[in-house]
Amino acid sequence: MIEIHNLTKTYEKIRAVDEVSVTIKDNTVFGLIGTNGAGKSTVLRMVSGVLRPDSGTVAIDNMPVYDNVEAKKRLFFIADEPYFFANSNAQTMERYYNGVYEEFNSEEFYKYLENFNLDKRRKIGTFSKGMRKQLALLLGICSHTKYLLCDETFDGLDPVMRQGIKSIFAKEMEERGMTPVIASHNLRELEDICDHVGLLHKGGVLLSKDLEDMKCNIQKVQCVFATMEDEMKALSGMDVIKKEQRGSLRTLTVRGTREEVTARFATVDTVFYEVLPLSLEEIFISETEVVGYDIKKLILG
Amino acid sequence: MTSKNSFWASSKENHKRRIWVWIVAFITQLMLYVGVVTVYLSRIRAWNAEGSYKTAKAYQEALYQAARDALAFQDNLMLPLIILAAIIGIQGFSYLYDRKKVDLYHSVPVDKNWRFAVVYVNGIIIYLTSTLISLLIGVITAAIQHAVNCEVMAAIGLGFIWNLLFFMVVYHTSILAVMLTGNRFVTLCVGGMFIVYEQMAYVLAESMMYSFFDTVSGFYVTHEPKLSAIYDYSMNTWEFKQVEEVRMLAKELLPYYGKWFILAVVILAAAWLCYRKRPSEAAGRAIAFIRIEPFVKIAAAVPLGIGLGMWVHSAAYNDAVLTAVSMIGAGAIACAAIEVIYDFDIKSLFKHLISSGIAVAGILFIFVVFKMDLTGYDDYLPAADDLESIAVNVDYYGQFWDKDYNYVGASDFSEEHMYLHDVEPLLALADKARGENVEDMTDARGINVLYRLNSGRKVGRRFWVDFDNPGNEELLNRIMGTQEFKEGSFQFMTDQDSFEAVTSMVYSNGATTSALPAQDALMLREAYIKDMERFDFSMVINNRPCGRISVHFPNWFSMTLDVYDDFENTIAYLQSKEAFYPVELNPEDIADITITHYHNELLEEGNDDGVQSIVDTVNAEEAWAVDTSYTYEGVPAIPATFTEEEQFAEIVPYIYPEFLSTAWNHTYELDSDYDIYVTFKKDTTYPYDRSQFGVYYRFYTGQVPEFVVEATAIDAEFMEEAAAGNAGEE
Repeated sequence: MIEIHNLTKTYEKIRAVDEVSVTIKDNTVFGLIGTNGAGKSTVLRMVSGVLRPDSGTVAIDNMPVYDNVEAKKRLFFIADEPYFFANSNAQTMERYYNGVYEEFNSEEFYKYLENFNLDKRRKIGTFSKGMRKQLALLLGICSHTKYLLCDETFDGLDPVMRQGIKSIFAKEMEERGMTPVIASHNLRELEDICDHVGLLHKGGVLLSKDLEDMKCNIQKVQCVFATMEDEMKALSGMDVIKKEQRGSLRTLTVRGTREEVTARFATVDTVFYEVLPLSLEEIFISETEVVGYDIKKLILG
Repeated sequence: MTSKNSFWASSKENHKRRIWVWIVAFITQLMLYVGVVTVYLSRIRAWNAEGSYKTAKAYQEALYQAARDALAFQDNLMLPLIILAAIIGIQGFSYLYDRKKVDLYHSVPVDKNWRFAVVYVNGIIIYLTSTLISLLIGVITAAIQHAVNCEVMAAIGLGFIWNLLFFMVVYHTSILAVMLTGNRFVTLCVGGMFIVYEQMAYVLAESMMYSFFDTVSGFYVTHEPKLSAIYDYSMNTWEFKQVEEVRMLAKELLPYYGKWFILAVVILAAAWLCYRKRPSEAAGRAIAFIRIEPFVKIAAAVPLGIGLGMWVHSAAYNDAVLTAVSMIGAGAIACAAIEVIYDFDIKSLFKHLISSGIAVAGILFIFVVFKMDLTGYDDYLPAADDLESIAVNVDYYGQFWDKDYNYVGASDFSEEHMYLHDVEPLLALADKARGENVEDMTDARGINVLYRLNSGRKVGRRFWVDFDNPGNEELLNRIMGTQEFKEGSFQFMTDQDSFEAVTSMVYSNGATTSALPAQDALMLREAYIKDMERFDFSMVINNRPCGRISVHFPNWFSMTLDVYDDFENTIAYLQSKEAFYPVELNPEDIADITITHYHNELLEEGNDDGVQSIVDTVNAEEAWAVDTSYTYEGVPAIPATFTEEEQFAEIVPYIYPEFLSTAWNHTYELDSDYDIYVTFKKDTTYPYDRSQFGVYYRFYTGQVPEFVVEATAIDAEFMEEAAAGNAGEE
């Protein structure tokens, strides 16, 4: 488990991370979402032990990470622009990481390289941006660290590669309990990968929730009530986050499980009602609007 | 097989990314050792083929020396070593400049100290491997040409340690500079500043002292950098090349070895500490630690401002206002430029004005301290009670050596041998000098003094004393008449051993020269020391030597013993050897006297341009029948040759051999406007030195016979013609 407590980092006079507290549970895919400058990279660089926090703590399995080799053995950090040695190829990088990470699996690495059609002898300098990110991910996965910290790593990956990486993540999570932490400024990129999402804004955490919890506890209902009394009866006692009206058609975003909401609507007379699933985007819009932010401006652009 | 995290595995991994540094190091060292030894030895062979070496032994010695010069203490090594150390140091830790690299290296599970150790040791390995292999090839090359023996090998070993320690000091300094900075340009600036800072500070301080103080003296107490390896290296490498005996060489090197080793360790410790404290986000920034930015700026701007100001000071003929303005201006510009470098943004010119203000104020403060002599440097005069003793040099510089026949400077000899305990006369002279203007003195002599204080401190000063001022005579006698002064000024007073090894002795009064038996050296010394009891200021200023004994010692050392008319013991010895003859010439012995009058009065009259234009206009050789080679700065020199014995009789009482001139006597007592060249007949009463054609003399000032003046005068009629011709041309 990665525990981040009141983490603060200031660059000269700019506070990049402001008292961030997040817990990243094992064996989940944690998405760190935020606009450019929200502090995602700084948080990940502190979690990976690159930066020393001004205040607050980062603990990896209860071990402080900064300047701690034992803690660092459990993580692999893929920076937003991963560095590869000058004139190196995949083989060169494999040899380096193989010397650094005790459990690096070379056999697996070369197998993945083949699967992803990456030439082990080709100079990395000639790789496309996407290929470099694939290579960095494969090196990270094959290092067999418990935590894989990816900073904007999925940007620029084509859907096929994303799917490939997703399946490797699933396999590694299942086999050895790998915990990927993925930072991105694009919510849509995380939707199909993450189990838990933390939203960073202006250096602070706006919200941090399990995706399943969010999805299960928030429902969109489209309905037409028979009478105003029925509407009043249905809505009383329900946590309505958002309410839209087009003629007699109501679109409600409410908190609660699907069963709870369905049970509630069964007690009133409706001409029509339907409980619909929410996209992650819609959930975020709803959740952030509650705390006074317009997420469309923050992330969805 | 090495384990994954073993030192050698890490080292090997690191070396893979330093291949170009290996190549640079090898090329440099091969050129410096193998290339240079090949060139040096081939040069010796070529000289030998030309017959430059008279004996096989001399040729062999030259080969050995060439091998030592190339492989042990080479003049060309310093700059390449500095560049190599900087390249190895900066390249090794340059990952700290790049955020992408820092993200990789600082996130992987490798201990920070371990990484530092690996990169550091690899740098040393690169240097050692390239040097040792190059040296080995160089030694083989020299050995094939018979240029190596045990002593050469020992010298090469000592030179190797000398260069290794120097490399380490610069290498560690480069690493420290990397740790304090965030990009290569600033690293080079800061590293360069570290390396030359102390030397630069000394140069600037010395420049200001000599410009603004009157009593500065570098004779006894020299201000030189204490910690600058570059200064030590550049000042001593050439000297070490000359030391032939290996044990002596090792003895001389040892203090530097110790100093440089400690210096290297301290700098490395500082570099490691900065490495530990250095934030990863410093990558790409100018200075890694924001808090030290103002200090670096001030430390750089102050010497830059003062340096430029002092240059203006000398260029603008000591204009104090212009100097101060230049210093302040240069300091302010330096501060602004440094801010621009810090932010890489021209808009930062006027950022952090407080630290810029401190730098400028510091510059102004330093200028005022020196200009106004706020430390009272020139007023310094220790109390007699505070003085343990004094050493003094009264404008006299002889040749000195130690028991191993190594050269010793006049200041070192005096400092070692002179302990004047009667300090009052010297303090009185120094006190008088504070109120006197050297421009008003007719015979101003610089006196260097070393005050040895009871506290152990040594202070050196120089002041001016007028040898013409009768008021100074008694004080100077009380100094120069003492046994301590004589022992600290003349080596023969204390060095009996050298007189046991005298190789030859010659006595001359300028015209006659007689060899004296070397085995009489001790006897002569004894007689001369007895006569030296008469020596004091009054004696040397009021008398001129009547002869001079040149004593020669091993290793080409020699000393001269001036013989005065009152030196009865020495003269008795010389007479016993039939070597003593009167300084006044016998007119009967003279063949002719040629006197050249330089007419310096034309220059002294202050019309240099006029004289020059006359000479330019007129063909001097044709008009005045003057050999133009006798002219100096355009002033005509008129020679006249006298051949009559009556003329000789009128000239000889007023001339004195130039050979016997001493530093003590008033320079104006002999007339430098006339050169007198005397040649002798074949059969003479005195045994004149036949190895030379004639002897040069000078007239006593104001005693030039009238017929000589007339014979060497400028033709007045021609002067008029010359002036007219010159005017006509205008």
